[in-house]
Amino acid sequence: MQGSHVRQKMEALQDAVSRIDRRHAAFSRHARLRGQETGGAVAFGVDTVDAVFKDGFPVFALHEVRCALTRDIAAASAFLAGLIAGCMKHRTGRIVWVCDPACRPDGGQLFPAGLAMFGIDPSRLLMVRPLDFKTALWASDEAAKCGELAAVVFQIRGNQPGFDMTATRRLMLKAQQNGLFVCILRQGGDEEANAAATRWRVSAAPSAADPQLENGIGLVRLGLVLERNRNGQTGQWTIQWNHNRHGFEHVPADHVDRPAEAFHRPGGAPQMGQVMAFERAS
Amino acid sequence: MRLAALDGHGHRAGLRVEQTLSDARALFPDLDVFDHDPRADAALLEAVAAWCDRYTPLVAVEELSDDVAGQCAGLFLDISGCAHLFGGEEAMRDDLVARLRAAGLLAHAAIADTPGAAWAFARYGTGGVIAPGEQATMPLDLPLAGLRLETELLDMLRKLGLRTVGCIASLPRAPLAARFGNGLLLRLDQALGRQEEAISPRLPVPELSSERVFAEPIAMQDDIERTAAQLAANLKPRLDERQLGARALELKLFRVDGHVVTISVRAASPVYQPERIVMLFRERIAGFHEDLDAGFGFDLVRLNVTGSEARPVEQADLGRGGEGGGEGGGEVFVNLVDKLGARLGTDRVQRFAAADTHIPERSFGLLAQAAGGGDAPSFLPAVGDTPPDSETTVAVLTRPIVLFERPEQVEAVAEVPDGAPIRFRWRRTLYRIVRSEGPERIACEWWRDGRGGHSRDYFRVEDEEGHRFWIFRQGLFERETHHPKWFMHGLFA
Repeated sequence: MQGSHVRQKMEALQDAVSRIDRRHAAFSRHARLRGQETGGAVAFGVDTVDAVFKDGFPVFALHEVRCALTRDIAAASAFLAGLIAGCMKHRTGRIVWVCDPACRPDGGQLFPAGLAMFGIDPSRLLMVRPLDFKTALWASDEAAKCGELAAVVFQIRGNQPGFDMTATRRLMLKAQQNGLFVCILRQGGDEEANAAATRWRVSAAPSAADPQLENGIGLVRLGLVLERNRNGQTGQWTIQWNHNRHGFEHVPADHVDRPAEAFHRPGGAPQMGQVMAFERAS
Repeated sequence: MRLAALDGHGHRAGLRVEQTLSDARALFPDLDVFDHDPRADAALLEAVAAWCDRYTPLVAVEELSDDVAGQCAGLFLDISGCAHLFGGEEAMRDDLVARLRAAGLLAHAAIADTPGAAWAFARYGTGGVIAPGEQATMPLDLPLAGLRLETELLDMLRKLGLRTVGCIASLPRAPLAARFGNGLLLRLDQALGRQEEAISPRLPVPELSSERVFAEPIAMQDDIERTAAQLAANLKPRLDERQLGARALELKLFRVDGHVVTISVRAASPVYQPERIVMLFRERIAGFHEDLDAGFGFDLVRLNVTGSEARPVEQADLGRGGEGGGEGGGEVFVNLVDKLGARLGTDRVQRFAAADTHIPERSFGLLAQAAGGGDAPSFLPAVGDTPPDSETTVAVLTRPIVLFERPEQVEAVAEVPDGAPIRFRWRRTLYRIVRSEGPERIACEWWRDGRGGHSRDYFRVEDEEGHRFWIFRQGLFERETHHPKWFMHGLFA
């Protein structure tokens, strides 16, 4: 008789504690979402790039990083890694990297030692290798629900049917609701309309001169084109990864170590504003 | 060609196993003959064994050597402590035989104290249940073949006029052993219960198990999930009692027609809450799409805990408010890993682990996140080598960010055979190299690859457009080979 009484009391107390816990969790999440980390005011790290974002770079949204050619996948991955490391300085959570199996044969796979050089500890990464694109989309959807993570990367190859406005909008909503940086990493393929807040095209650019080695490879430089920006202008820059500072920095246009014709590539950056994206019929 | 097996009509008509086909055809010209397919027989027996799991977790498939006279393998069921669930041994045996008969299989079953006696009675006796006391005397009337003897030995005994078990049981043991070896006495003792014999179950016994029988078979996915939830709730007090959490679980669905569907899941951390257990199965079943064939429904559902682990001590943390985000990842993260693992397979949700080798493709591995085993060693020291404030040194990226699992051969041209390349062709595109650094020599691991392995000279090269590649020459010129090959191994940012 007495035992059951005590148990009832215990259960009531446990209920009360869990209620307080829940309220506290909701409160802290709310606070975090509004806090300075998110407040939409996270500096991108490069002044000239930050300037195009009127309200700051929207970290907790869906973004897209793409490379036109498969050989640029390393540049795109590195840019994304640097971006995550820069934006997520205060988040120590895990990074989920969902990789569509179609990427593997051409695009190789992430090399942890190289990833570490862009400021991301590879042991934070959770690599998800689904069976096909459909399950890959499902997996990234599930990951985007998990607000505890630091970032979700969804690596796909080219333009996939079924990855349309609706699917990307769902990812976008989840990113915003759960306070997550979600990014599509598109390997090859064309640009296509989706719900992403920004779309970057990354390509490799000739590196800086190495002061110590005559023919050496200096600081890594990337050509960056902001093709789409929902709240601000687009732009085009050359940035370099500063290994000492662990961040990107802008390379002024006159700061070119190599004859200019090296930059003339056929099929380079398309003229802005010419490409019209329609919603796909399929 | 000889007859390998006969059905009831064949036996009654006087045909024998091992009879030549032409003899049999001479007796019965319209005999139906099928090719003997031992693999199909074994598969059927395995399926029946899986079905027999409904009676006891200890089911063994008999491993019969070819020498044992004219018999094919059977099943052993250790029903110690299980019979009362089916209304006693007699009722259990009848149920089993009746159900198998309904499925179109003719079964002989006997229950005895030892596997040897049960074997003998099922095949040469009347079947049924041998009472514990009759163990020592009942088998005496059976033919000697009931002792699982080899054909050769059996023939020899027959020639001596020894036809029943009783004949040799009454003979003095020592001369028998001297004449026929120990095997005969061992089989005799096993049949009479003088010697212990263990069966080897085909599956490990689950640590915990909970099941539910349905009079009306269930087929809907919702019903299966609800049943799984009930079973998980049944298991929870047992897990609580032992302070255990399940790491591996399986749900066995026994279909009415005898087919058994087994769904195994693994959890990233010990689970004990029914809703999390059900979540694992729900994702797994969703991953099946249409493959979960319910047929006419399942009449028995069982949830087994096949692997467990001590539960970490929990305490409600008021400061954090259950909002993990820490190093190891909190509960939400673990849930995500479980969910992904359940749907995709745990080996597809991986983390990096460092390995102690210089060969790039071997220097890391991808382990299943759910496999646990602590956090992987950090890969970061490579970065920490350079002091952050030394502006004078230009730290370079020494390792690519993308690696090809299998290095791709390229056609490269170098100025001197042991120098850096000046241009190369990779994936049908020609690249002219503007800058290069190297070589960085990585010797082969002779303790793994043998002595003939070639060293690799790695070069970091950059082409006109700024693509940076990691290519290597396999084999040192003149020292190891005269025609070194070039390979593309990775891409730098």
